[in-house]
Amino acid sequence: MTTVFGAACLAELAICAALLIRVALGPTVSDRIVAVNTMSTQITLAVLLFAAWADRTIYLDVAIWLASFSYLATIVWSRYLERGLL
Amino acid sequence: MSIAATVLIALGLAVSVSGAVGILRMPDVYLRIQASTKNVTLGALPVLAGLVVAKGFFTPYTGRALIIAVLLLVMNPIASHALARAAYKARVPMWKEWKDQ
Repeated sequence: MTTVFGAACLAELAICAALLIRVALGPTVSDRIVAVNTMSTQITLAVLLFAAWADRTIYLDVAIWLASFSYLATIVWSRYLERGLL
Repeated sequence: MSIAATVLIALGLAVSVSGAVGILRMPDVYLRIQASTKNVTLGALPVLAGLVVAKGFFTPYTGRALIIAVLLLVMNPIASHALARAAYKARVPMWKEWKDQ
């Protein structure tokens, strides 16, 4: 079971590496924000799977922090794009 | 038990990979938002369920996975809606073969 967790964690990181292509290429700022928002969710799952792989439950709180605050960046950036001020 | 957890985690990973392919291949920011939101939410929930199934119900994983699932279900549509609205207001160009704007 530990092997499954480690392999799934590496697969999530591979998905993040593929999304970095869109962050580099994206024609507008919105494309980059979409890719970064998706990457944050994938990194949350990667941290969860890493906690299960290493059997350290302290990392679960890191995943909760990421899931709570990664959306703040998206919402703040979209407010900035919409109104031109923060 | 571990077979069920493996199947759930593989299902979530497959949906996440399809979401990443959609973000890479779609021609437009609005279509990329479509590809991102649903696939990310549906890809995260089976992984969380697989973690709970693998580690057992009365472990610290259950509460944390439940909190993260609720946060994903609530915040992901809000963020995507705000982003699509901001992109439309900022006049991000749509796909040129999309006539009905």
